[in-house]
Amino acid sequence: MATQIYIITLRGGYTHESSRDVQRLVRGLGGYILMATRTGPIIAIDESRAPLVGRNPLVEFLGPVTLNPNGVAAGILTRIFAENLSKQIEGGAGSQPGLNG
Amino acid sequence: MGIGKDLLDVPFGDMIFSMANAIANSQRKLDAASLRTLRTLAGTKFDFIPEVTEVLTPKPLDPIDLGGGQTVTPTGVDIKVFPSPPIKLTLLQAGLVPQFYQFTESIIEVKISLSSKLDISHSSEVDIGLEVDTKVEAGGGLLSFFGGPSGSVSTSFSSHVNIKNSITYSYTAEGSSLLRTTLKPVPPPVRFMPRFITVNALVSPPAINTSE
Repeated sequence: MATQIYIITLRGGYTHESSRDVQRLVRGLGGYILMATRTGPIIAIDESRAPLVGRNPLVEFLGPVTLNPNGVAAGILTRIFAENLSKQIEGGAGSQPGLNG
Repeated sequence: MGIGKDLLDVPFGDMIFSMANAIANSQRKLDAASLRTLRTLAGTKFDFIPEVTEVLTPKPLDPIDLGGGQTVTPTGVDIKVFPSPPIKLTLLQAGLVPQFYQFTESIIEVKISLSSKLDISHSSEVDIGLEVDTKVEAGGGLLSFFGGPSGSVSTSFSSHVNIKNSITYSYTAEGSSLLRTTLKPVPPPVRFMPRFITVNALVSPPAINTSE
């Protein structure tokens, strides 16, 4: 299975705690947090494990997305994703990015 | 009963219809999920700083004494950073687009194996027995008066017949069906995605750029 980027919306709206809990869940399942927004985190995770995230009661919606390189800020997003990814790869499972959005 | 009739009884039409119906329903749900993702991306904003201006100005450092009365003054540089005010940009504007999926190929495969077997066996066994028992006794009786011996004759007849008939009929039917479909990511449909029209009023005349 391939790694896919997803955007998550949180049930009941964004709270710091719920966002953190979902981020921990994603990291526990071997996924990565690419960006944290006020809607919910943008994650990268194996497609086979994505349903486990979607079934969590804190998660309202899990939608697959892709990056359009022609977007006006595609370069910025790529840089943010890369920075956050590098922190998690270097820091192990415990490290999580701050709010970017 | 006929095997040909059994094969004709397999509801191929219903199976194909059910599969096509399931694929159509799944495709509709997938498209609905992608549209929901599109709305989410269009509603999620983040602070985008389009420009960062860096101003480099000379900042001479302290002279370095080289000895012999010679000194050199390194050229230092002072850097001032001026980020432009952040603007709210949606993730969709920034370049994240929903992933769309499409069923590209579907295969329905039905395997059916029918077999019938008829065994008829017949066996019979006949056993016939005949037994004659004659007894002759000397003396006494009226017969002996005429000079003959006295006696008795008994005859027994026995027979048995075993007949075994067996007819065995067996009929087995085995079937399996396989439904296989391929789901592939595809680019967003053109009609689903908004066009971005950028008007650059910094130049004269204003430049208009359209992107999907």
